[in-house]
Amino acid sequence: MKKELYDLAERAIKIAKAAGADDCRVSINGDRFVEISYRERRPEGIKEATSRGLQVEIFVNKRYSVQTTSDLRPEALKTFIEKAVASTRLLEEDPLRTLPDPKYYQGRKTLDLKQYDPDYKKLTPESRHNFVRAIEESCLAKGGDKVISVSASGYDSYSEQVLMASNGFDGYVEYTAFYGAAQMTAKDEGDRRPADYNVAIAMIRKDLPRPEEIGAEAASRTLSLLGAKKIKTEKLPIIIENRVVGQVAIGLLQAMFGRSIQQKQSFLADKKGQKVGSEQLTLIDDPLIPGGLGSRTFDDQGIAAKKMVMIETGVLREFYVDWYYGRKLGWEPTTGSPSNLVIPTGKRSIKEIMKDLGRGIFVTGFIGGNSNSTTGDFSIGIIGQLFEKGEIVHPVSEMNIADNHLKFWPRLVEAANDPYPYSQMRFPSLVFSDVVVSGI
Amino acid sequence: MKNITRRSFIKTGATAVAGTIAASSFLPKGWYAFAREDASGYFEQEFGISDELCRKVLSEALSKGGDFADLFFEHTISNFLILEDGKVNRAACEVALGVGIRTVKGDQVGYGFTQDLSEKAMLAAASTAATIASASGKKPASKFVPPKTKNYYPVKTLLSSVPLETKLPLVQSVNEKCFSLSPLVRKVTVVFHDQQKRIMVVTSDGVKGEDLQPRSYLSSSVVAEKDGRWERSGWNYGGRRDFSYYTPALVQELAQKAVDRTLVLFEAIQPPAGEMPVVLGPGVTGVLLHEAIGHGMEADFNRKKISTYCTMLGKKVAEPFVTIIDDGTVPYLSGSINFDDEGTPAQKTILVDKGILSSYLHDRISARSYGVKSTGSGRRQSYQHYPIPRMRNTYMLAGEASPEEVIKAAGKGIYVQDVANGQVKIGEGDFAFYVSQGRLIENGKLGAPIKDVNIMGNGPKMLTDIIMVAKDFEFAQGGGGSCGKGGQAVPVGFGQPTCLVKSLTVGGVRG
Repeated sequence: MKKELYDLAERAIKIAKAAGADDCRVSINGDRFVEISYRERRPEGIKEATSRGLQVEIFVNKRYSVQTTSDLRPEALKTFIEKAVASTRLLEEDPLRTLPDPKYYQGRKTLDLKQYDPDYKKLTPESRHNFVRAIEESCLAKGGDKVISVSASGYDSYSEQVLMASNGFDGYVEYTAFYGAAQMTAKDEGDRRPADYNVAIAMIRKDLPRPEEIGAEAASRTLSLLGAKKIKTEKLPIIIENRVVGQVAIGLLQAMFGRSIQQKQSFLADKKGQKVGSEQLTLIDDPLIPGGLGSRTFDDQGIAAKKMVMIETGVLREFYVDWYYGRKLGWEPTTGSPSNLVIPTGKRSIKEIMKDLGRGIFVTGFIGGNSNSTTGDFSIGIIGQLFEKGEIVHPVSEMNIADNHLKFWPRLVEAANDPYPYSQMRFPSLVFSDVVVSGI
Repeated sequence: MKNITRRSFIKTGATAVAGTIAASSFLPKGWYAFAREDASGYFEQEFGISDELCRKVLSEALSKGGDFADLFFEHTISNFLILEDGKVNRAACEVALGVGIRTVKGDQVGYGFTQDLSEKAMLAAASTAATIASASGKKPASKFVPPKTKNYYPVKTLLSSVPLETKLPLVQSVNEKCFSLSPLVRKVTVVFHDQQKRIMVVTSDGVKGEDLQPRSYLSSSVVAEKDGRWERSGWNYGGRRDFSYYTPALVQELAQKAVDRTLVLFEAIQPPAGEMPVVLGPGVTGVLLHEAIGHGMEADFNRKKISTYCTMLGKKVAEPFVTIIDDGTVPYLSGSINFDDEGTPAQKTILVDKGILSSYLHDRISARSYGVKSTGSGRRQSYQHYPIPRMRNTYMLAGEASPEEVIKAAGKGIYVQDVANGQVKIGEGDFAFYVSQGRLIENGKLGAPIKDVNIMGNGPKMLTDIIMVAKDFEFAQGGGGSCGKGGQAVPVGFGQPTCLVKSLTVGGVRG
């Protein structure tokens, strides 16, 4: 397939140039996936398909547009691109819209990022069903007589992608992806039916936990929510669990994009070189982690990927600046989007940290909420466990935290020793002091 | 891959400002052949999809048994025009064409889709779908008839027939208006989105529905600066509208709202934290109904006994002055559909009838399981997804009180004007919604503006806590409202009169 995709990309560029485009960038993808879900020990849904798509970004006469199609037959593709070039000419001029200077394509690493699993080809309908059945069984077993409903699912995909730009860039990626998931709903007091889920995602199948662990963990998480109560509004330390802490960190990231800064929508715009968090806050963007869900050797503009320290012991060092907004700001481009995000792990387990904190809340999920990238204010509902003297007392529900990122991250006091591997955000659980948790 | 959690969320307001349009599809003959305003015969004429071919593919989908099968053809063109820093300097176009083929056996679903509308590709996808069953084959109906419905969103001019030269001045005029309204305005982003979705549903039991679903919105996002402080807000108008909706008067109103809503934030404070009375203003605050009750009434959740409402049908859940409706037939609203994505005609479904929980929202699978008729709520994001029970436009009927009486009755609390997004855990019934604009209520009167606060509650408890409803009912006229469930986004609408909820948890900052 690789050659076919390359030929297609070259042809698309040739057509665009012939139609008058000054430059263009083409991205082509082909995907195949199978998704199976089970409920009540039989398949609930089976879905599979092969799809493909072509995206072409057109730069003509200092004007820009982006168009997508999946009709890759020669004649149809030709007409599509010619029309796209013609309509792009009607837009308003923006001289800053160009392909990146090719010097930013240089220095691309050649290492194997371990994103393609050769065992993918060995999957059979039977092995797929067995995987999902094992997840379901373990969830049912662990959930016991509290189970109202369990759903389990498994997914695998194979994808290829080519990125090519008319000023001398080409890149190819081949990757697989796998996940296993379970969701359980449990009996509780009155009409409450707590539910929680567990999902593990990896690019190499053996990096997933065993299906039995995936299912059992979903059940444990659900059972831990039984008997949830709301407590009084109180200022407390909180521990945010590794798998969900990214939902708060996203509020910081939104303000770190070139577009947010240039469009005056960033509370971090003038904070480069300044303290935005505590000494404990170091945030690294590392595109070169083998098997990482966000790993890459080039970004979607072709800019060679490199490791960047975004925040170093609390000091803001870098932004996500793509080529276009870099030109608008007069800044050097870095990269347009995050790859894998890492916060260095600490030494202690959550259990040990809880003992020290006395009374607090261990946040295991969020609900609703939003973050304002212009001001840094955020407010988000929490789901979790009240703990005292290191022991869980009861789960909490219908509670909320509200803060401002510039005041919140300076109160990060510790990172636990539990980095989460099944996400682009490979964060450990994080501990914050003096958080107003609103309830009754 | 995000669809593993069945927690549902919704987002309103303009999307795609960042221009991250996902790669999609576009097949034979191309969108230039797309200039017909009636819905019937489109797929046959443009792509050669005859009844005979449909029967052949449905036969393959039923070749291993299965109770029924359906085909969902889709050809959608989406356009975005984006103005930033004073210029319409970015456009995006996305075309989706494909067919999804579903085989249903009891509550089990087999599904395949293809972007290639050739007989060979469709038969292959049908054969994938068929594997959910394992018995002897069945035959589809010998004749297809259209669903009996009306057109709730007649289109005068196809959005794709409006030339770029006509759309550009509209987008520019919003920008100019916003800047002219206040010297504090620093940045304006304007997005004009138009979409026309052509669908054809063909079912093995003899329904063939063809529809043209328009959708558009015009949004303005404003950033202002005052004394070194920055604030951002915006507004959007839209729905299942054609281009004639976007008049100079609407542009004026859009710009005024976008600017006013931004400037008021300079005076806004974050409210106190804790439980207090909450008054919902009219219109978009209907998001609260969507979260607090709407999702919990989707019948798939109830059939599986995983919704907090699954034992409450026929019971009193609210005061007699509370009636809540989910309705696919409101003219031009985002959530309206002439028929659903399984071919069932558009309907109005009463969820809560004068305080009594009266109906779930059904698709074909759940309707069969409950022994009732589908409520026309089977919806899907695209041909790449199979339908599940979904909301359309969700709203509460007006009451008797005046809005001032409702605010007065609250005494001290929060008044909600605008909601950005929300989420619910359907099993517990716990929900959240994010207030982007509102006011404090003090001594029974509106006080200082508030912003950026999440409000939490529990669905069944909230329903019983609705103690007053005003007569000022409004539908939200935004065009960007979209609801996510099971990894699928569909357009939805909201409506709400001013109403008082005795107590909700306000996620403020002061303890």
